[in-house]
Amino acid sequence: MRIVNRRDFLKASSSLGIAALGARALDAFAQDVLNVGVVHQYPIGEVGWETQHALGWKAMEAAFPGKVKVTVVADVQQAQDSERVFRELASQGNKLIFGTTFSHMAPMLKVARTAPNTHFDCCASVTTLKNMGAFEARNYEASYVAGVIAGRMTRSNTLGWVGAFPIPQTVWRMNGFMLGARSVNPKAVCNVVWINTWNDPAKEKDAVNALISQGADVLAGSPNTPVQGVAAEERGAWSIANCSDFSKFVPKKQLTGDIFDWRSAYIDSARDALAGTWKAQDRFRGLGEGGFCAMVPYNAAIPAEVVADAKQREKDIVSGKLKVFAGPLKDRDGKQRVAAGGSLSDKEIRSINWLVEGINGPFPKS
Amino acid sequence: MDMVVSVIAATLGAGTPLIFAALGELVAEKSGVLNLGVEGMMLVGAIVAFITMRSTGDLWLGVAVAGVAGALMALLFAFATLTLQANQVAAGLALAIFGAGVSAFIGKGFVGVTLENRADAGLSLPIDIPLLSPLLHSLHPLVYVSWLLFAGVSWFLFRSRAGLVLRAVGESPASAHAVGYPVIRIRYLATLFGGAMAGIGGAYLSLVYAPLWLEGMVAGRGWIALALVVFATWRPARVMLGAYLFGGITIVQYFAQSAGVAFATQFMSMLPYLATIVVLVVISRDVAMIRLNAPVSLGKPFHPGV
Repeated sequence: MRIVNRRDFLKASSSLGIAALGARALDAFAQDVLNVGVVHQYPIGEVGWETQHALGWKAMEAAFPGKVKVTVVADVQQAQDSERVFRELASQGNKLIFGTTFSHMAPMLKVARTAPNTHFDCCASVTTLKNMGAFEARNYEASYVAGVIAGRMTRSNTLGWVGAFPIPQTVWRMNGFMLGARSVNPKAVCNVVWINTWNDPAKEKDAVNALISQGADVLAGSPNTPVQGVAAEERGAWSIANCSDFSKFVPKKQLTGDIFDWRSAYIDSARDALAGTWKAQDRFRGLGEGGFCAMVPYNAAIPAEVVADAKQREKDIVSGKLKVFAGPLKDRDGKQRVAAGGSLSDKEIRSINWLVEGINGPFPKS
Repeated sequence: MDMVVSVIAATLGAGTPLIFAALGELVAEKSGVLNLGVEGMMLVGAIVAFITMRSTGDLWLGVAVAGVAGALMALLFAFATLTLQANQVAAGLALAIFGAGVSAFIGKGFVGVTLENRADAGLSLPIDIPLLSPLLHSLHPLVYVSWLLFAGVSWFLFRSRAGLVLRAVGESPASAHAVGYPVIRIRYLATLFGGAMAGIGGAYLSLVYAPLWLEGMVAGRGWIALALVVFATWRPARVMLGAYLFGGITIVQYFAQSAGVAFATQFMSMLPYLATIVVLVVISRDVAMIRLNAPVSLGKPFHPGV
């Protein structure tokens, strides 16, 4: 494995253009080594979105020692740059190429159409091609379990949520959280503050302070930084980690967290590519073995019966006994969204644009 | 009561990085130097302060290092524009972009890391005054420093001889030069001061406000600081007002959302910008006063030889 930044990568790839052609011919002789390219939008930090993807491809490397060779290009922020990087990776003989964010979908679609013999897989993509798959986490399952814990731990019956942008991925997670909380505490409400950014820690902290000052005592939210938990702990409030485990930064007051676990997304795709059976799939998985999301270990301060309840819910979700968006389900305006006995289809979940009862505050419809 | 205290405390906190950056820029602009690179200098200040505090645990050392780093960034700009006579607008924009890149590069290994030890203690009053005591106690020492900076800058510019000379340089560098003042040296010092304050503003963000480093975490506050100076018509008191107004409306709209006010949040996010500009433009609409306060030679290069 090697990590290069975009500049080094482009420099090297342009100067070695011809050498690469030769290398490609050699690669064809090298037996059964799968060259895999991974593109990250931002630098890979200690925690956060990119880190969870890095754990994924590192697990893939470890699963097939000597069989996969990973080239990682990090910090490719602009769509036009990522298109060029995808193209370079494809022309350098990488047979399996991963995009790690929704923003990679459009450039990857363009490149995938021109490289029919290369397999592409894009996280959070909403489109697939014959040679381009998609993978996405049903993290509303994990946020539901986190909501169960939040609903049991709150003393004020007020939860707080810091919203980034109202896209289906954040809305389903928020709804799951509220449904989980209400399933154990019908009096629970969740106040929401939208900050309209992924990347402004100062605003996250302001939002957390506003929520806590108005009674929230368990904080959760969409931006992928430890800031919300750190700010909550300063004020003595509980928090739910998002994306990664933040317990290192929030040592006392992090209850749990719903995090991404992309290991099987990378491993399964590489296994199929190695076996020559790779097919474009649209993978949408939640909790459980081989799933795409997971719970952060529960805080020792949570009473044992609450932990037992949460663990039981995890099991029921994995076995299919518990469906998060099961009917009867009304949105917060009172409109029936799911009839008794039914549940939301994947298509409905993936285009969700309404909030469940109990979530207060504005909803900037996208 | 508790809520009022937290709204005011949060407002003061949100305005503080803007105050540092804008007052520094104000001094530079008063000397006739328009440095648009505030955002870049704040970012560099933020990351070096963060690294310093993470490795030494000393807040004030972090702040000092951020000031030095900001001044070094400003030195690059000053060398290009004052010594080499490059265009100030172009050089300032380049500095902003350069700062974003160089801070990302320095901070490569610190993305998403936070600080473990933080010193947040405010003032403790000997007597217990409702509202004021809890408020003062919840403020970070750097907020007090920003007030001292305001007092110092106001006194310096309008009450001291050196400030008078600096303003003269910004009005008419040729005349100042003719009476024997070192125009270029004064502009260098003013620019360096502006850079140091921008660096400290960045340090406040990464050390106090949200104690962690993220690429681009200054998130446009450098540009807001620049706008504040102009809309406040180069008057320190109005810079303070604008900064707190901006911070206050940002905070209040979060409280409103959290209280369940269902209003387009995109509009609410826009509100601080809109309100700050409207208020400052309205109170500063006197054209004669604007002319009086705006440094005449702002952004114009000066060559002592000509």
